[in-house]
Amino acid sequence: MDKLYHKVLKAPWPYWVAAIVLSLLNISLLILTGSPWRVTSGFLYWGMWILEKLGYNDFTGSYFALHGGLAGGETFLVNSVSILNAAVLLGALLSVLISSEFKWRRIKNPKQVGFAIFGGLLMGYGARLAFGCNIGAFFSAIPSFSLHGWVFALSMGAGGVIGSRIMMRYMV
Amino acid sequence: MKEEFLDCLYEPCPIPLLKALKKLNKMKAGDLLIMKTDHNCSITNVIEWVDKQGHKMDYIEVGKGEWEIYIEKVVSDG
Repeated sequence: MDKLYHKVLKAPWPYWVAAIVLSLLNISLLILTGSPWRVTSGFLYWGMWILEKLGYNDFTGSYFALHGGLAGGETFLVNSVSILNAAVLLGALLSVLISSEFKWRRIKNPKQVGFAIFGGLLMGYGARLAFGCNIGAFFSAIPSFSLHGWVFALSMGAGGVIGSRIMMRYMV
Repeated sequence: MKEEFLDCLYEPCPIPLLKALKKLNKMKAGDLLIMKTDHNCSITNVIEWVDKQGHKMDYIEVGKGEWEIYIEKVVSDG
């Protein structure tokens, strides 16, 4: 029992197991919701929800015309992407609680905050220009036989090389 | 034999791995590196990398979600 707990719930799964589980989940999601896994559109909807609450409601720009994407009855807060994002957070929380690795992490130094804000802004901006992050524009795009997934993969590789150089120079 | 210490608490992947890589490069064969981390992917990627390099290694979970990794440098750069 102890051994099973350690293998399944405590130790990290091998990459190939995780890959099979993720692909099966993505296929189920596509069958159930008609759309493969996306993440950052959910954050965009949250931003739009805040704008809407502040009184802004002109979501007619070309971006939204092309990528509004809400099904009937969905709102910026309650939609399939938002709920899935919330569920991912909940699942991650459950996983660390079950493996008893839950821990509040402190901020190490101001540099970490600066890099987090700068990196977050770049990622958010880039994800919208690319119509998705490494999930929507890569993990879901390539199995959908979309060429943009491969373009995204190459660009992500280049970004990764530049990013690690910056990290090695300033963060390590 | 020298003992080196790396505090990687509160630092996300892959910073603990990169810090270990940088530190190990400056160490001599037989030196011991002790690193503290609270990121569970360090347990995977640091250990995989150290194993591939052929260093001796062990780790323990010292608290909930907190680990100490011990690495003895085996191969010398020269």
